Amino acid sequence: MLDVCNVCVEFDRFRAVDGVTLSVAPTAIVGIAGTNGAGKTTLFGAIAGQLPLASGEIVFEGHDISRLPPNRRARRGLARTFQVPREFGSLTVLDNLRAAAPNDAHESLRAAWFGRPAAARADAELERRADDVLALTGLSKMRDQPASSLSGGQKKLLELARALMGAPKCILLDEPFAGINPVLIAQLLDVLRAVHARGIALVVIEHNLQALKAFARRLVVMDQGRVIADGEPEAVLDDRRVQEAYMGGVV
Amino acid sequence: MTLAEVANLAVNGLVEGAVIALPALALTLVMSIARFPNAATGDLMTLGAYVAVGVQALLVGSAFGAPMIGMAVATLAAVIACAIVSVAAYELIFRRLGRAAMVASLLASIGLAFLIRSLITLLVGHEQHTFALPLVRAWNFGGLRILPSDLVIGAVAALVLAAVFAWLRFGRSGRLLRAVADNPDLARLSGIRAQRLMWLLWALAGALSAIGGVLLGVKSVVMPELGWELLLPAFAAMILGGIGSPAGAVIGALLMGVGQELSVPLVGPTYKIAVAFGVLFVVLLLRPAGLLGRPELAR
Amino acid sequence: MDAYLVAVGSVVLIYALLAIGLNLQYGETGLINFGHVAFFALGAYTSALLALRGWPLPVTFAVAAAVAAVAAVPLGLAALRLRADYLAIVTLGFSETVRLVLQEERAITHGVQGVPGIPKLFGALGGRSTDLAILLALLAAVALAAWATHLLKASPFGRLLRAIRDNEAAITALGKDPARYKIQVFMFGAALAGIAGAFYAHFITFISPEQFVPLVTFYVWMSIILGGVGSLRGSLAGTLMLVAFLEGSRFIRDLVPGVAEVQMASVRLAIVGLALILFVLYRPQGLFGRRAN
Repeated sequence: MLDVCNVCVEFDRFRAVDGVTLSVAPTAIVGIAGTNGAGKTTLFGAIAGQLPLASGEIVFEGHDISRLPPNRRARRGLARTFQVPREFGSLTVLDNLRAAAPNDAHESLRAAWFGRPAAARADAELERRADDVLALTGLSKMRDQPASSLSGGQKKLLELARALMGAPKCILLDEPFAGINPVLIAQLLDVLRAVHARGIALVVIEHNLQALKAFARRLVVMDQGRVIADGEPEAVLDDRRVQEAYMGGVV
Repeated sequence: MTLAEVANLAVNGLVEGAVIALPALALTLVMSIARFPNAATGDLMTLGAYVAVGVQALLVGSAFGAPMIGMAVATLAAVIACAIVSVAAYELIFRRLGRAAMVASLLASIGLAFLIRSLITLLVGHEQHTFALPLVRAWNFGGLRILPSDLVIGAVAALVLAAVFAWLRFGRSGRLLRAVADNPDLARLSGIRAQRLMWLLWALAGALSAIGGVLLGVKSVVMPELGWELLLPAFAAMILGGIGSPAGAVIGALLMGVGQELSVPLVGPTYKIAVAFGVLFVVLLLRPAGLLGRPELAR
Repeated sequence: MDAYLVAVGSVVLIYALLAIGLNLQYGETGLINFGHVAFFALGAYTSALLALRGWPLPVTFAVAAAVAAVAAVPLGLAALRLRADYLAIVTLGFSETVRLVLQEERAITHGVQGVPGIPKLFGALGGRSTDLAILLALLAAVALAAWATHLLKASPFGRLLRAIRDNEAAITALGKDPARYKIQVFMFGAALAGIAGAFYAHFITFISPEQFVPLVTFYVWMSIILGGVGSLRGSLAGTLMLVAFLEGSRFIRDLVPGVAEVQMASVRLAIVGLALILFVLYRPQGLFGRRAN
């Protein structure tokens, strides 16, 4: 479904991503690990469209999306969350979700002035969908709170919830477990499994290898812009190259 | 248009560009460290020009009355005045806004610009002033006319710029300043050193604006809108040259100066500021990072 | 006293139209527009010049709004690609360029001398009735603008604007293009300013380029900061405070003999400058309204 073909991303003359090739099947849960600076987030930037490719292609569901801007890629079903949550602080959690949902027909000046009944009906429908997503991500209690009042972990869940409003086929999650209370990690894992159960492929960048091991069906390890291992988590973690890359850290 | 006419415009443009380079450099230094465009730069130039013209008027007829000496003393006074105002503005306003959004500092700098200009007009009035300098006829090289005063202006600007660049490159504090500009995390240095560095930065910005104002005042007339009218060309120069690049600011200023002058036969002298705006607009749309700038800072 | 209050009321309402538009651009959407006076000027000149050619006023008003809205398009496009501070500078440059054009193109705009003898709105009624009619028309215009703005803010479009203001990068990652919305907001705000300009021209009956300096833009900025950014009521309250200040300064001049008008202008400039600095330092919620910052 998602094919990353020999992608390179350069900053000035520095190759942050150096010839990465990766395939993600429709039902996959792929973990991406690697030390800091390995190029993981940069790779996401390239796939999602925030960063231009120096070379290579990104193919999604058979279409070459390499030159599409991020919003068009998202519309095709390729969603992305960010390491640092980007919540709409002054909006309620519910409104964060409603603003995130595709709603072209009613998000216009004309609709604001002359199409209020239809917009209201659409908003009610969005509210229903939002409540469903809130239940899935465990944020129902915070529904009417301003997003700025959420805890760090809750903001990350909101990131995920917003991405879900677009009915994506694949979500790129950038360090969803970072900075989360260890107690909540199990909860987040359940949420991710529930999301996956809806038929959404997940690609997850994570430093927390324990969490990835419990959850990912496949593990890709990057180092210095290249993929150095790609396979089942157990096998990959035993790989000497991976252990060397982590320099004797607990793998 | 004859070659001589083009050459005249180009030379005039180079001189103007040299003058624009000073506030453009001040803007780019403050921008790369304090991360906001200091809209008060223009009116600091005006302040410098007024201080200088006032001091020079006081000195006329005294021991320091001779034009060169008088101008030197007047310029020094302007530099000191503007450096003080600039550092004071940093201490009282911009440092306190440190963590606030950029628009806060920008609005405050606009407020400061208004404040400076209004205080000048309240104290001294709206009339125009000129520096008491001997009128020297332009030298004529077969159609190419060069005013000796323009040469002096260009030379002074070049010297000042060279001195600042040398300091940035070789001076200890200068290199530290560059390092901080390149790497904002370094800004979290130990308290005293960081403070001293910031004072140095703002004093330098004030000094550059002062000299720019004096040179501009010598070239044309000293009036309340003097600096404000140069603000947009200076911004354009900074952006054209590239954010974070002092050399870029100077090159941008020279290009802006020449470009503005060369456009005069096409659009007339009063539209120069429109040319600055046009250049600004086009550069930002096509290449937000400018000629020598770093793209990461552009968006 | 009566006539004076009616006149001041009209000025308040004209500024209110400007403030509503600017507040929508900055308060709601986060667009830093330092060139608002340009649309005010374009509206004033468009309506005045067309009216002097014999066009009926309702039409000239409509065209004024349209011209201002169209003029906002290049700025809207710029807003898409520029970071906030650059947009601010570009919009400032735009307004100064507009003023320059008005000053230079004497053939069309009468240049520095300005345009005198603009037909007064409802002039046919004569005397006091004219002034009252202008006031009522402005009241209606402001009410309509406020209503339209309120509907906009309460709509999904408004919600999206606030989302763009809060975190534009997230919007693109969610499949939406902030571009369309920003341009529309720019145009709507500009149209309101254009209408304000038309009212202004046919109220004061004489316009010249020097009435449309950046200071006016920052008067409006002061209003929305005073009243609270992002708040419709704030726009109205802030405008009242602004005009109170502007008129008050005139009274002071009457009380203190020997102060020339030109000095008063400097004093006003000084106070606006000081006010901007002080508000930014000590009343940031004025700058950021209800936004968590």
